[in-house]
Amino acid sequence: MLRLSLATRITLIVLVMLLVAWIGALALYYRSQAGAGENARPLPHQIAALVELAEQTPPDQRPLFYEAVSSSILNVRSADTANLPSPEARPVVAALHDSYAAALGDRAFVITTRPVTGSSGLATRGLEFRVVLKDGETLVLDTKSPLPLTVFGLPVGFGAGLIGTLIALAALIVMHRETRPLARLSAAVDRMDLAGEPSLLPQARTSAPEIQTLIAAFNRLQERLSRLLRARMAMLGGISHDVRTFATRLRLRVDHIPEGTERERAIGDIDDIVRLLDDALLSSRAGAGELSEELVDFGRIVEAEVEDRKAAGAPVDLRMGAPAADAAILGDRLALRRIVSNLIDNAVKYGQAAHLSLETDPEAVLLTIDDEGPGIPAELREELFEPFVRLETSRNRRTGGAGLGLAIVRNLVEAQGGSVATGDAPAGGARFTVRLPLFRHRESPDDGAAMPPDSRS
Amino acid sequence: MSASPATILIVEDDPDILRLVADVMRREGFGVETAEDGAAMDAALARAHPDLIILDIMLPGEDGLSICRRLRAQSQLPILMLTAKSEEIDRVVGLEMGADDYLVKPFGSRELLARVRALLRRVNAQPLAPASRRFAFDRFTIDLDARQLVDERGSGPALTSAEFDLLACFVQRPRRVLTRDQILDWTRGRTADPLDRTIDMLVSRLRKKLEAASPGSNPISTVRNGGYLFTADVKRVP
Repeated sequence: MLRLSLATRITLIVLVMLLVAWIGALALYYRSQAGAGENARPLPHQIAALVELAEQTPPDQRPLFYEAVSSSILNVRSADTANLPSPEARPVVAALHDSYAAALGDRAFVITTRPVTGSSGLATRGLEFRVVLKDGETLVLDTKSPLPLTVFGLPVGFGAGLIGTLIALAALIVMHRETRPLARLSAAVDRMDLAGEPSLLPQARTSAPEIQTLIAAFNRLQERLSRLLRARMAMLGGISHDVRTFATRLRLRVDHIPEGTERERAIGDIDDIVRLLDDALLSSRAGAGELSEELVDFGRIVEAEVEDRKAAGAPVDLRMGAPAADAAILGDRLALRRIVSNLIDNAVKYGQAAHLSLETDPEAVLLTIDDEGPGIPAELREELFEPFVRLETSRNRRTGGAGLGLAIVRNLVEAQGGSVATGDAPAGGARFTVRLPLFRHRESPDDGAAMPPDSRS
Repeated sequence: MSASPATILIVEDDPDILRLVADVMRREGFGVETAEDGAAMDAALARAHPDLIILDIMLPGEDGLSICRRLRAQSQLPILMLTAKSEEIDRVVGLEMGADDYLVKPFGSRELLARVRALLRRVNAQPLAPASRRFAFDRFTIDLDARQLVDERGSGPALTSAEFDLLACFVQRPRRVLTRDQILDWTRGRTADPLDRTIDMLVSRLRKKLEAASPGSNPISTVRNGGYLFTADVKRVP
């Protein structure tokens, strides 16, 4: 479906309305013109009656008669020169001539159109009848177009239409300016980096009050969310630090326990506590900008992880094209390794095997991991990426982890501008697909640099 | 092991961990000095001459990273960092700041002793042959000590000292995104104005000079949010 912006929609609506108005005005104009033409042209019997009356009027009374019948659209006068059309006049069509010939009997007459008056020099329609009376005098009936003209010689409606159009155009421009903050607002919502400094939208004093309110509300929302998130991160960080301190003391004290299985178990428990804490911290970090960014050959990382598992005898294999092997992405080496290893280990643990393939398209590198397990029910696919969610719900540590692996994968992938999805492998089993954007050499910052330069340092 | 036992200076703010680590060291026959923050460490350094420092990163007042950098500027004393975070970024930064090794909390006494002994052995075996400070990238070779940039014909663009510092900063940290703040920090120290936009101008001048000296050479990439990335493969050369 075609998606039009609000401004485009209103622009189109106004344009259509203007077109309709113009067409309507033109129609009216022609209608009134036709009527005016009808009125301006005296009917044959009227002309005949006038001529008859003029003939019956004594010559010395005729000027008085002429004055009596003249009006703003019909000028009646006499001309001495017999039967002469004015030099610049052109004879009118024969049909018109014939309709008058019947009424005027055998009198000689000529009908001409004249370019009439009009200070602008615009030709409007006018008819001139010259009829030779029986006594030889020439009667001139001069009809004028009744169309009212302005001082500039333009029809009255034209100016109003022009001004209306200009106002509509101005309104369009103003409206476009009005809707621009909305576009900026939605861009800012998309770009919002809650972990970094909030990038507040500037308030334009000229915006509509509703839009100003909306922007202010958005800015407050952003600050609240950001404060909330920072507080949560600080709390997690604090807990993590303190638990680590306790764990360090405990670990050093455990060394005083005499060697034996109990000591080994205690050490194992301490390691588990710390790992759980690290994972929880890692999975809660939503693109927190705490990852480093370096140029990494993703293919090498995948290869290394696969080789590790193979060396340990795990059923893992990798299919990789030549361009994919050199795919460089901008990311955190450790985080990328964690993504790959979590997905491989999940596939092996719950799906008996991991079949990896690495491909590239012009934009991104695509890592696909298929397993041979029972697959993931479609309704649980999204939920599975949430922290502490597991398909197997016993929470038994022996049959699985804490349920943080995929949450970590998703957060790390998204923090590096990528995406992860799950579906069905062609051969049955589950398929996970990770998509990470390829690195592009750039000399100048892209649109993202509209944010303050050190908002993410 | 030499006749006189080595002395270890432990800098750690948690009293329990400090005592436990000190106990481990004493049990193994090391001489032990302790300090709970940077100031106490300075006093201990003046008083005793330790052979190795065990330094916690999270300290009240001046943090471990800053202390480490300060120490490294003065001496070659081996430093073992204790870090609370397992992320590699901390390790890398710790090593870059001059630490010789690191240990992630929690650690066992056996692991700690192994690291300490390894560090002491390394220092005793070879009095720290300074690593080469010559690097090669694209067609250029840069010598950080002689402050020279040459291409394979032996000539090279004439760089101002600020441009050279910037390039030196890049070749020592290739293929990593560096923010303006970090670059400022490494090239000029903390006194620089953090909002200084001259980094952008320096980068653009450096780009032009590299491009002019070796057409097609374009190793500096701009990344979103105001950072730079040195994309060339950098090799350390003897």
